[in-house]
Amino acid sequence: MVTRRVDLRSDTVTKPTEAMRAAMATAEVDDDVLGVDPTAFRLESEVAEIMGKEAGLFVLSGTMGNLVSVLVHCDTRGSEVILGDNSHIHIYENGGIATIGGVHPRPVKNNEDGTMDIDSIEAAIRDPRGELLYPTTRLICLENSHANSGGRCLSVEYTDRVGELAKKHGLKLHVDGARIFNASVALGVPVNRLVQAADSVSVCLSKGLGAPVGSVIVGSKSFIAKARILRKTLGGGTRQVGLICAAAFVALKENVEKLEGDHRKAKILAEGLNQIKGLKVDVAAVETNIINVDIVDSKFTAEQLHKHLEEHGVLVMSKGQFRSVFSIVNHPFRFARKWTKLEFVARTK
Amino acid sequence: MVTRTVDLRSDTVTKPTEAMRAAMSAAEVDDDVLGTDPTAFRLESEVARMLGKEAGLFVPSGTMSNLISVLVHCDIRGSEVILGDNSHIHIFENGGISTIGGVHPRPVKNNVDGTMDIGLIEASIRDPRGELVYPTTRLICLENSHGNTGGRCLPVEYIDRVGELAKKHGLKLHIDGARIFNASVALGVPVNRLVQPADSVSVCLSKGLGAPVGSVIVGSKTFIAKARRLRKTLGGGMRQVGFICAAALVALQENLGKLEHDHINAKALAEGLNQIEGLRVNLAAVETNIIFFDILEGSKITAAELYKHLMEHGVLVMPEGPSRMRIVLHHQISSCDVQYTWSCFLQAFTGLQEENGN
Repeated sequence: MVTRRVDLRSDTVTKPTEAMRAAMATAEVDDDVLGVDPTAFRLESEVAEIMGKEAGLFVLSGTMGNLVSVLVHCDTRGSEVILGDNSHIHIYENGGIATIGGVHPRPVKNNEDGTMDIDSIEAAIRDPRGELLYPTTRLICLENSHANSGGRCLSVEYTDRVGELAKKHGLKLHVDGARIFNASVALGVPVNRLVQAADSVSVCLSKGLGAPVGSVIVGSKSFIAKARILRKTLGGGTRQVGLICAAAFVALKENVEKLEGDHRKAKILAEGLNQIKGLKVDVAAVETNIINVDIVDSKFTAEQLHKHLEEHGVLVMSKGQFRSVFSIVNHPFRFARKWTKLEFVARTK
Repeated sequence: MVTRTVDLRSDTVTKPTEAMRAAMSAAEVDDDVLGTDPTAFRLESEVARMLGKEAGLFVPSGTMSNLISVLVHCDIRGSEVILGDNSHIHIFENGGISTIGGVHPRPVKNNVDGTMDIGLIEASIRDPRGELVYPTTRLICLENSHGNTGGRCLPVEYIDRVGELAKKHGLKLHIDGARIFNASVALGVPVNRLVQPADSVSVCLSKGLGAPVGSVIVGSKTFIAKARRLRKTLGGGMRQVGFICAAALVALQENLGKLEHDHINAKALAEGLNQIEGLRVNLAAVETNIIFFDILEGSKITAAELYKHLMEHGVLVMPEGPSRMRIVLHHQISSCDVQYTWSCFLQAFTGLQEENGN
């Protein structure tokens, strides 16, 4: 039986398009450590401009983007950062901010919509008068869109309020904007307005935007200057890096407008899955391109569902015994495949 | 006046060739974090095989390759590593093994040939009976070829002796082999024999071999498994990384054979420079593709003037102090470029008129 492959594990699986490969083949490059790679510089400037920040720095991964950002904001020993207890930095980055950076995390409960209660954040800020016993809070991190809650979007009003709180207490604000463009598109808010309150933002180009590799950190000139040094220290100082940046550039130019299509498909798939007896999807929570699917029919587990799907060429991500995650990303999938998938799933019942 | 650019600042400046760009364009890729990128796997396996080790890991830079290697060997808090006081890891990697990895360095004097005295290395190994006050030595690092002494080669006999010392004391041995192929070619020793005693080796593809990006770490399967995880932690887990690896594979296949020519060019240029009054080059020290030269006191021009003159003529070198400079040859420097470079130096010191008559 000929099986097509529908890879819904993550939006990181996107392969470079022809346009990207062509751009990589002709990219103008130079040694980005000894000097400046012109294509890297173009990409960094472009993303900084789009995000409304002074400068940008290309990094090889979202993990490195967040690690560098946290470590630069918290460059004094004895620092603490407030972040969501269900945030990517806290759960999926090997605890690097602590094991590598010596920064102490202060996790605050993430609500189902990806936010943390403003009061809880404020209560978690260390009182300087207790400094003999306390680390020093220096940074608050938000994640937009928030992955583990299902790609939920933090509103601009919420982000602004957290920004004000940070300012009030002399703290910095970093937004893990791996999927910030998804949030911007879903909310209908220009991305620079969405992150206006942030001192720094990390933006992934290798997820929904489809570049093969990389992220960009944006922030003030002085922040980015420090970030560049730390990037080198971590081993992220790459030479003729413009080759990678050229592909990322194409991604930025061509694929932001395709995100809306991903969201639409995700909504339709979510509704379809929710109608299948034995599955449950909180359709209202599907705001961008991620769907969390719960198996409520206790007769079988997520593992069995995955196996069945895999046999039909559909790959999804497991999140525990009774939850699967479907990530929708536009290319190279076509809409028809989504319906075929629903048929497969229905057949298991 | 038409000026070419002869970039001798480092062998990292090499630009990707047509063959590399074509390979990148056509590379088979996949998500190297969620699974395995096939081209990355091919490169890692090939380099491991060439160096006689079990497995390999592609990383984006030499700095990351050394940082990961040291941190994996020294994964227990309170570790110490013995390395040269003039080694790349100790001088040019932002002290990352300490500031990022919490590992304590124990620098031992590098001789002018890049070695450290075996007796001094042994004396630096911490006595476990002093553990209440000492960190624990876990690792010795060598660098071959040795950058800061001018690309000097550590002979296989020396490496074997350091390997035996490490074994005797239960330590690991890591070789910073950024330019290990240069050393292998210059010494006439197969690269796998040269690194035989090493538990791990880091190899740069972006230097003399000319790839645009990257290095490969090689070692045992268990070592590489831990290295892969630490690479992710440091932010080096890249997605469709295969297309960079494709360029690196081309570099390995095409440019290994060109290293010898870089060495010949270096030797020729070194001899030419040494003949210029006011310059001095230690010719015996030019073993691979790196030349250090000194501007002698009382010579016709100062180092600053020389640097400026060279730059005006499109020749880029690396200053290394008030009266010292460095030149690095690579495959995108032709014999013609070498000739041109030498004539620029000569012109600076003898003040010859320009050809178009001024």
